[in-house]
Amino acid sequence: MNNFSLNKGWLVLCYSLILGLCLCHSPSFAQNVPLSTTSKQQVTGTITDGTSPLTGVSISVKGQQNTVVSDFDGKFTIAVSSNDILIFTYMGFKTLAIPVAGRSTINIKMQEDATALQEVKINAGYYSVKESERTGSIAKITSKDIEKQPVTNVLATMQGRMAGVDITQDGGTPGGGFQIKIRGLNSLRENGNEPLYIIDGVPYSSESVGYSNITSGMPTPTSPLNSINPSDIESIEVLKDADATAIYGSRGANGVVLITTKKGQAGKTKTTVSASSGVGKVTKMLDLMDTQQYLEMRRQGFVNDGITTYPDSAYDINGTWDQNRYTDWQKELLGGTAVINNLQTSISGGSALTQYLLSGTYRTETTVLPGDFEYDKGAVHFSMNHFSEDKKFKLLFSSGYTVQDNLQAATDLTRTSRNLAPNAPALYDANGNLNFENGTFQNPLAALRGITTAKTNDGMANTVLTYQIIPNLELKANLGFTDLKNSEQRILPSTMYDPIYQLGSDNSLLYSNLTMRQSWIVEPQLRWTHNFETSKIDVLIGGTAQQQRSSRLYQLGIGFSSNSLIHDMASATTKYIFASDETIYKYQAFFGRINYNWNQKYILNLTGRRDGSSRFGPGKQFATFGAVGAAWLFSNENFLKDSPVLSFGKLRASYGSSGNDQIGDYQFLNTYASSGLNYQGMIGLEPTRLYNPDFSWETSRKFEAAIETGFLKDRIFFTAAWYRNKSSNQLVGIPLPGTTGFSAINANLDATVQNSGVEFTLRTVNFDSKGSKWSTNFNISVSRNKLISFPGLEGSTYSNRYVIGESTSIVKVYHYTGVNPQTGLYEVEDVNGDGIITSLGDKKTIADLTPKYFGGLQNQFQYKNWQLDFLFQFVKQQNYDYSPNVPGGSPINQYSDMVNAWQQWGDIKPFQMNTSGQNGDAVNAYYNYVDSDATIVDGSYIRLKNISLSYDLPLQILKGVNCKLSLQGQNVLTFTPYKGGDPEFKYTGYLQPLRVYTAGVQLTF
Amino acid sequence: MKNRLDFLKTVSLKGAWNSNYKKCSILAACFFLSSCDSFVEVDVPSSQLTGEAVFEDIGTANAAMAGLYAKMRNNGILTGNATGISCYLGLYADEFDYYQQNAVSNFYNNTLFAAEPGVSDIWNQSYNQIYAANAIIEGLSNSTVLPEAGKNQLRGEALFVRALLHFYLLNLYGDIPYINTTDYVQNSTVSRMPTNTVYGFVVNDLNEAISLLPENYVSAERTVPNQSTAYALLARVYLYMGSYPEAANTASTVINNPLYTWETDLDKIFLKESTTTIWQFMPEANGTNTAEGDLYIFAAGPPAIVGLKPSFVDAFETNDQRKLHWTTAVTDGTTTWYYASKYKQESSTGSSVEYSIVFRLAEQYLIRAEARARQDDLIGAKEDVNAIRTTAGLPNTIATTATEIIADILNQRRFELFTEFGQRFFDLKRTAKLDQTLSGSKPGWNTTDGFWPLPALELSANPNLNPQNPGY
Repeated sequence: MNNFSLNKGWLVLCYSLILGLCLCHSPSFAQNVPLSTTSKQQVTGTITDGTSPLTGVSISVKGQQNTVVSDFDGKFTIAVSSNDILIFTYMGFKTLAIPVAGRSTINIKMQEDATALQEVKINAGYYSVKESERTGSIAKITSKDIEKQPVTNVLATMQGRMAGVDITQDGGTPGGGFQIKIRGLNSLRENGNEPLYIIDGVPYSSESVGYSNITSGMPTPTSPLNSINPSDIESIEVLKDADATAIYGSRGANGVVLITTKKGQAGKTKTTVSASSGVGKVTKMLDLMDTQQYLEMRRQGFVNDGITTYPDSAYDINGTWDQNRYTDWQKELLGGTAVINNLQTSISGGSALTQYLLSGTYRTETTVLPGDFEYDKGAVHFSMNHFSEDKKFKLLFSSGYTVQDNLQAATDLTRTSRNLAPNAPALYDANGNLNFENGTFQNPLAALRGITTAKTNDGMANTVLTYQIIPNLELKANLGFTDLKNSEQRILPSTMYDPIYQLGSDNSLLYSNLTMRQSWIVEPQLRWTHNFETSKIDVLIGGTAQQQRSSRLYQLGIGFSSNSLIHDMASATTKYIFASDETIYKYQAFFGRINYNWNQKYILNLTGRRDGSSRFGPGKQFATFGAVGAAWLFSNENFLKDSPVLSFGKLRASYGSSGNDQIGDYQFLNTYASSGLNYQGMIGLEPTRLYNPDFSWETSRKFEAAIETGFLKDRIFFTAAWYRNKSSNQLVGIPLPGTTGFSAINANLDATVQNSGVEFTLRTVNFDSKGSKWSTNFNISVSRNKLISFPGLEGSTYSNRYVIGESTSIVKVYHYTGVNPQTGLYEVEDVNGDGIITSLGDKKTIADLTPKYFGGLQNQFQYKNWQLDFLFQFVKQQNYDYSPNVPGGSPINQYSDMVNAWQQWGDIKPFQMNTSGQNGDAVNAYYNYVDSDATIVDGSYIRLKNISLSYDLPLQILKGVNCKLSLQGQNVLTFTPYKGGDPEFKYTGYLQPLRVYTAGVQLTF
Repeated sequence: MKNRLDFLKTVSLKGAWNSNYKKCSILAACFFLSSCDSFVEVDVPSSQLTGEAVFEDIGTANAAMAGLYAKMRNNGILTGNATGISCYLGLYADEFDYYQQNAVSNFYNNTLFAAEPGVSDIWNQSYNQIYAANAIIEGLSNSTVLPEAGKNQLRGEALFVRALLHFYLLNLYGDIPYINTTDYVQNSTVSRMPTNTVYGFVVNDLNEAISLLPENYVSAERTVPNQSTAYALLARVYLYMGSYPEAANTASTVINNPLYTWETDLDKIFLKESTTTIWQFMPEANGTNTAEGDLYIFAAGPPAIVGLKPSFVDAFETNDQRKLHWTTAVTDGTTTWYYASKYKQESSTGSSVEYSIVFRLAEQYLIRAEARARQDDLIGAKEDVNAIRTTAGLPNTIATTATEIIADILNQRRFELFTEFGQRFFDLKRTAKLDQTLSGSKPGWNTTDGFWPLPALELSANPNLNPQNPGY
């Protein structure tokens, strides 16, 4: 066994520092290039786009190193000789070459370049490519899209805007998580489908940092992705196909999300201050029974069961509770308004050689629940770029630090608000105290005294050092560090319970968890480019060493001398430590890329990576991945070059492999760990898992073909992509029967999952004339997931979960046939005709929960100072109906249309007879119904996901101050046949995404 | 190693750089040389031990066993909280009423279905505990360094636990597989075994445990099973099997053991020092009392989760002191509720006063009484049942025939052993009185409810476990 200690880890860091120092040092050798001083004169001027000044235009002298940039008012000054030629370049505008011709003032009007979108550099991680020359499948959004959305999670900003990227919000509680699927689910392992996140070149682990037991008010444990501050993001690129992801090797199978933070721009110091405030409400409530309907249902239940005396505990109908009360509990408990405030400032500027950006964001969000719950987030971002004067050395530093402080209820009241009897008593008594109605009412507000706090501090820093050794040969080092600390507590004070139980603070509970995660990465790279006469070659090789160290301390404290000490673990009478561990993940790789571009027509891109990961046992740690991509720019062929219609045309295809190592650490070891439970003064040890030392990579083979075409100077731009990914050697926790002692064992399954689909995007500029513009973006993804092979499926533990040829997101359910008019019970089809309903024999109906298609339609209007932008998002899918999970007649409220229940022999009704719960046949029939296709309903929706209206306020008095007013809305309108609340959810019974409106003002000076 | 060379080869091919920069690349190469293959190997984390290492040290081997007891105390069949069988079977039969608001108990309503979470939790947790027992048994057999005495003691305990859990599973779910290995390949395709086969394994394990376990307790407070604990279970197993002579003899072994002396003060029987206790769970921490007390006791009505059925409390014989000492009435003036007050402590005390008792002497008397009665040893049977009656403040039994005596014994079992790990339900079941007794008081009762369903997921994960129990 090799002993890799901390020391050695530091050694690696030292190497990288030495390497960094070498690089830092080298420019001084090369700086002695004498500056030409002969016969210089100053030229000044102003650059505009016809209406307003252009800031940040770079002005250089042809054939010289000398570069300046235009300032905030579009002004520039540069020293030239009288017969020099000035080159004006600006992203999105046509480059101009203007001879000085002895002038001392040169005013320039630059023209927007319609085809410049093709010149935009796309970040592909280890390299960047021009949009027109890219061979891989990469979707992108920029800060322009992000800043229009009043959201706090980076994944929220991508919803509906990227083809092939399916994102669902977990819930409406601030600080909650999101689900992301890039081109479907590749892995059969439920939590093995996360993409790889890279922020400014540093991998960012998206593994949850909390415990579900602590963030109990949310469906999923705390996700670290909330630490990423959307307003600090310049662009998000999603790498989808093999050509783009193979260079990420073992971690690229589920796609790669590259996040690039904002960088400073040269020019006069620019300060931006923006503030916004808004409100959020629940989008949709359920249509539930009122008191009358509810009590009638309850009474019927007892009548049907032949029970004449209501039991003691049936407070709702036995006379204990007022039967004339009515409370709309959904409104009462979830009908509040969340308040959202956001303040952001940034300062940026710099010279042509050094630019910086410093920004800070502060955001607060409350919730719709009654009570003082609040999510606070503060973020600081700093970035600096520096070039040596000879442009050979480049330093890029960026860092971010985010602090989140989330205080939420430990209980989500959504389910309670739907369940509570409509005649349940008032929340407060006459004295304004919580009302427990003499011990018969579990007051839902009491549950809110149990709270969850989560404090997350997350810092990351990244340095990229680049040095041009000789022309065309560049040495680069990417050094990164992340440091996350998440401290969570859940307190359950004795005051949550009815005082009638006389529980004192000795019954109060405190759960706490502290997670620390640190990682570093070192990636030396060497890049060589060469231009031949008609072609160019770009070669990149590099290596990666990465280590991530995570530790957890998960504790429970019971009993406090006073509830005011409940946040202090040291004050707990009894303490349990359930987990106190540290895990180390080490990763190493070598990668390379060769890109050959012949005459701007034919492009070949080869990428590869050899990877090693500590997540696998000895002998299984290394694997190789690679891809080949090719593109043909047919619009550059002579016969199309001057086409008046077709302005751009490219065919591209790629094939290759990437992998997946999301299995958790140490899973190949056979170990015992402390259970944290004390017996006779001894902390018990327990077997941690069934172990298998032999599992290894899951591999995805991806194939893609695409066409990209632009018409009428790219005013119409259309892309279509077809892909087919096959994931094999499935690395899964194979479910085992409980008789093995565990629920699963990690192993590779010889099963293959195929995700195929088509993605279309269409971008049109519908109208563009003086000062007004209307453009449209549309994307749609149609995907199909299919299990294509699974040898031995029949005899395996998966035999009832999967079907070859069907999606892996299917559920096998009963087929619902209706309410039997004679018995009054729900009936499902007895498929095998054996006279009894068994899940094995009769759950033969397949319901597919994979979205059939999804996408977005975005429109942007610009008229003078006004800008309007809106996005419709749509999803076609099936989903689970809301189910209270108890049959009608139980002391739990139901859909109001359940008044239409079967009552007597011969009734033809949509719902079965009510039961107080004592009729075993009715209860069984109900659970069969819940497990049937009757509860899988159309969950499709079209929603106005985002709307943003902004107005640039002309300020005559304050010269040089720009003021922008904006109104934004999120989840504004939803069209759906779904009845069970908001149609966007992954887990039922939790607060769903809110409808949010904000108003804001932004000052720039 | 190969990757290392490949990398260097590529690097060196890229010639054309001057010496300054070579320095950098050499450094870069060094960095990879120093790490490479070994870099991605990790040691066992400091918070874990390998399976082999655990059984190389008696301390950690004991900790593995302690972990199993703690698990059994906190989860699954024997836990005293609302997810153990004391609560589930109390509701399922006729001991408890269910009061939890906004909730429905399918146990209480006798409307279990195959996907009922409580049913699968009990199943999965029990087999998880059985796995832990098997892992200990195998770890001990493979260990060459542990002292023989320690090894025997632990093996005896693990065998006892394995037998105990299988015994309960058998009586809850009907024919079940007996698991005696940690091999998941084998365990994932097991089939149900006939009841007699399972009992055969249980008896074997218990006999071996008896031969290995010491007569005295290794712990001061009877918190680790000794030989008598295995005898106590064996006596119950024989009773359930209908092997009455063996049941009587085995119970006698326990009753005659001088470690156990009869306690006549009803308020002392459930204290941790009780001399009638055969095995009890040590609570998590000093000061903590039983989960049962926490679940059952309420200071004011209505109960939060469960309360004794008034019909049960009313059924005590007149003057039965157990009604006074072991049940408590709580009233708000109009309604009266009852709770089981065998354990008196609802929450923590300065130092613990009550432990959760799994086996106690009274049951052995009742086992022997019944076994004797069924062998027509009526005098012996009466003697034993009268011991129970006397302590309860009742006169000696007036029963004369075997049938009458057995009826009285079963009645005493009901009032002596209520809310203790489903004794009531199992008694009704083994005497085939479930339907007759529960049909009246439980509207949801069906004749097929005597067995719980096998968990639905279990059947789909291992079709060999088919068929499902009737009625599900």
